[in-house]
Amino acid sequence: MRGANLSPRFWVASTMILLLVLAAVFGPMVVATDPNQVIGGLYDRPSGERLALYLGTDNEGQSVLANLVHGLRTSLLVGLLAGAIATLIGLVLGLVAGFQGGWVDDVISAITNIALSIPTIVVIILLGVALGSRSSVALAVIIGVTAWPWLARAVRAQASSIRVREHIEVARLSGARWVSILGWDVLPYLLSYVVMAFVLQCSGAILAEATLSLLGLGPSGSTSIGTMLYWAQVWGSVRVGALWAFLPPTIVLTLISFSLLLLNSAGDELFNPRLRKGRRRGRGTAGAARGRRAPTPTPVAPETPTPGLAASTAVDLPVSPKGASR
Amino acid sequence: MQFARYLLRRTLWLLVTFVAAMVLVFLLIRLVPGNPVDAIVAQMTRGGGGSGEQVRAIYDNYMREFGLDLPLWQQFLVFCQNVLQGDFGTSFAQYPAPVTAMIGQALPWSIAIQLPAIVVGWLVGNVVGAVAAFRGGWFDKGAFLTSIFATSVPYYCLAIILLFVVAVRMQILPAGGGYSFGLSPELTLTFFGDAITYFWLPFWSLVIVFIGGQAVGMRSMAIYELGSDYVNYARGLGIGDNRITRYIFRNAMLPQLSGLALSIGGMIGGALITELVFNYPGLGTLLFTAISSNDYPVIQAIVLLITIAVLLANFLVDVVNGLIDPRIRAAETGDR
Amino acid sequence: MTRLLDARNLRAAYRTQDGRLVRAVDDVSVHVDEGEVLGVAGESGCGKSTLGAILSLNVRSPLQVESGTLDIEGKRQDFGASAKIPRTWRGSVVSLLPQGAMNSISPTMRVRDLCFDVVRAHDRRARRSDALDRVRDRIADLGLPPRVLDAYPHQLSGGMKQRVVTVISTLLNPRLLIADEPTSALDVSSQRALIEMLKEMLEQKIMAGVIFVTHDLPVLRTVSDRIAVMYAGKIVEVADAGDLVDRPRHPYSAALLSSVLVPEPRYRTMRVKGIPGAPPNLLDPPPGCRFHPRCGLAMPQCHTDEPPTDGTELRYSACHWSAQHPGESVPVEAATRDELDGGEPLDRAGEPVALAGDGTGVGR
Repeated sequence: MRGANLSPRFWVASTMILLLVLAAVFGPMVVATDPNQVIGGLYDRPSGERLALYLGTDNEGQSVLANLVHGLRTSLLVGLLAGAIATLIGLVLGLVAGFQGGWVDDVISAITNIALSIPTIVVIILLGVALGSRSSVALAVIIGVTAWPWLARAVRAQASSIRVREHIEVARLSGARWVSILGWDVLPYLLSYVVMAFVLQCSGAILAEATLSLLGLGPSGSTSIGTMLYWAQVWGSVRVGALWAFLPPTIVLTLISFSLLLLNSAGDELFNPRLRKGRRRGRGTAGAARGRRAPTPTPVAPETPTPGLAASTAVDLPVSPKGASR
Repeated sequence: MQFARYLLRRTLWLLVTFVAAMVLVFLLIRLVPGNPVDAIVAQMTRGGGGSGEQVRAIYDNYMREFGLDLPLWQQFLVFCQNVLQGDFGTSFAQYPAPVTAMIGQALPWSIAIQLPAIVVGWLVGNVVGAVAAFRGGWFDKGAFLTSIFATSVPYYCLAIILLFVVAVRMQILPAGGGYSFGLSPELTLTFFGDAITYFWLPFWSLVIVFIGGQAVGMRSMAIYELGSDYVNYARGLGIGDNRITRYIFRNAMLPQLSGLALSIGGMIGGALITELVFNYPGLGTLLFTAISSNDYPVIQAIVLLITIAVLLANFLVDVVNGLIDPRIRAAETGDR
Repeated sequence: MTRLLDARNLRAAYRTQDGRLVRAVDDVSVHVDEGEVLGVAGESGCGKSTLGAILSLNVRSPLQVESGTLDIEGKRQDFGASAKIPRTWRGSVVSLLPQGAMNSISPTMRVRDLCFDVVRAHDRRARRSDALDRVRDRIADLGLPPRVLDAYPHQLSGGMKQRVVTVISTLLNPRLLIADEPTSALDVSSQRALIEMLKEMLEQKIMAGVIFVTHDLPVLRTVSDRIAVMYAGKIVEVADAGDLVDRPRHPYSAALLSSVLVPEPRYRTMRVKGIPGAPPNLLDPPPGCRFHPRCGLAMPQCHTDEPPTDGTELRYSACHWSAQHPGESVPVEAATRDELDGGEPLDRAGEPVALAGDGTGVGR
């Protein structure tokens, strides 16, 4: 039923993401040029001579196109890896805290709240500075281990509201171990939320990588969208008007960010039908909106458990990080 | 009474997070491989400048400043003491300039572009978001998509494009810096009139992105409130739409106001790259220079400044929210 | 006895996103006499809450009333595309006591502020102190502690909140109060307190009549004078409360009764049965009698012909079987069946067997 309900927004976003992934996977093979190889002079204009020159050359005479596809690959990988790390940490901590309650919850929540109140950018910069030379993997790890707190908090709130539901009680009484309860009875309710959060985490990580690179803390020895922007910026390509050097990474980064956010908002709408139409048809059919409590979309509101959510709408919170890390 | 307890708890929390942040910054800076002072002195003398005598003096100065001859926990105390006194030490790269002075020069520039951008963006964004939610229909659709796009554009990408189009191609506004060459920062009309031309581009690049984010947030907030039981009930009682709109606004505004305060708290670290793109003489540019010259005291100071501002903003938001919103107070202190 | 409300031939539908119409209330007529409590019962999705929304003049997109007339104490109101009902009718002529009073007051608002807003919405010149004095008197009359006026909603318990909301709903002495599942979210003792309060208000003539919408038949049995049973957008049976519970004449009423524990001696020996199957999809209701796919007494004509209405305005049943058996009550055990025609189990498409209405809000 839901499958039929996917909005055009979802398809547009998915298509854009698919194209970006395809470019990252096959682009380097098609262009077949080493991004570090000097194939021309300083800021050669784009020419149709050969594929590698379609977007001209950068400040070191390297192919912009080759750099772009390799950089896209690096950026997406960093995003995926960091997003996965952050989602995993946030999910596990949030689940355990929300589901166990008691002192475990207290400890994890305190850590989460402290981590939430220290700006992510600060930790990333410090870690970046401390690690003299940074591989892109190390960068992804840095970004991943700093981005989990908001997710942990959101998951915790939801897990603790699911905990008091009857079917969990049944599972507990039937002697299931808590790990298996978490996996089989709690996690499924959170899945749509976690997937959407993962999308946001990836997008956040890609942007964080770019921010770090622009500050001069990018991956050493490999090209990413961020490092391309860094070089374009440092060598003043904007000022000399070499738009082929700075425009491609700018556009690609915007596209990544836009498509992931669009995907997230389409998913939000899907799992959260009230957002769909604004005022006009907000309430759905007779029974649909009834018996469901208005979720509190605000992170500052007290986290009251919402025991009465209809099972199918377990996850009603809009996915939004408290302070997006950019 | 209840509020006093709430205030006490928030204050304690502020202290805890502050100490945690200090520990974090302290430890991370010391993660830098090797003794930072050795590294720095080596770097400074590499240029051939300075006699043995001078180097010795510089070395001693840094050893004292960091307290590197002391055990770690004492070093931390020294570090805390210095920070609390507003003493961030001496710059490595521009020895012997005090870091505090360098930051004092850069900070006003950062605030000057960020604060107006945040306030304007917040106001406009909230109005757009609220109108979209209330009107619905095509306006909602258009405003929502535009806002999503605006907020998803990385702010520095927009900055780069604006810089290219307006300053490089059209040459309407200057391409970079904070003021024209030959002028020096002072409180005169001439200087102000000059600086404002450098101000517009970074300002707009931030405002547009910020409007988008606020509009998206406000829209979903208002939609949630519009569908809530109390709206239905108030209508059922014959209360007029204007009045109901006020209820909604009040409830939707609370988190938005917190958001404004948090953005203001986060503004120092919020747009570092914008300054880089426009070569604006603020903290972002300072941080960039410091990173590229391994100027740890400066990095450390900026990072601490960002953290402290955010912690304080969080604290203030909590306190004000506790004043305005009875639910929060009750939830926090466990009262009914 | 004076007629308080006379609603005739109401039709209302929800417009789905793809533009189709779900007719949730289909040609329904009800009336309420002065001093009377009319109960409306049915499973979830039967249209009872929609009927409540129409009668309390709270119709909003996607719901639209297609036709019908409303007479309240001689004031006549036509529904239809161009109908304009004065805003001030809501709250003073008819008033709504909502389901889920938990969230019915804006969380950042004190009870007294809402009270004043209600008064002022109907009288622009009302002074705050006068209005609040009146509210204070009312609250004292009904035995609520005066401190509730200064409370925020989260400071009130569920039962207290529901009673406070009841007071607010009746502040302006509406002629008719539409109570939509007001007891569903409450524990038994709070339910009792609320019902006592409603009765007290009727006695004090604060309002002249009540329509009480719920799936909870035992509650209806205690509060209402008459009960109307709805199924799939239509009223299938109307009778005096005791009569309906003791001698249901429509198989659906009987099925509803058999699915709950009714504290009546004759039901004590019976097993609680659910009603197999689910209410029909109103986008495409079954032809003939809408209950026939689930009915244990269905006859051939039930599949094709609209059931005739048998009886008087005060006691009728819309059913082929009851038309053929005037005066008899439905044998409760026979009212439902376990299989669809052709032996297909009724419990289709994984839909749960509906037990006693819907549990909207039960145990929330």
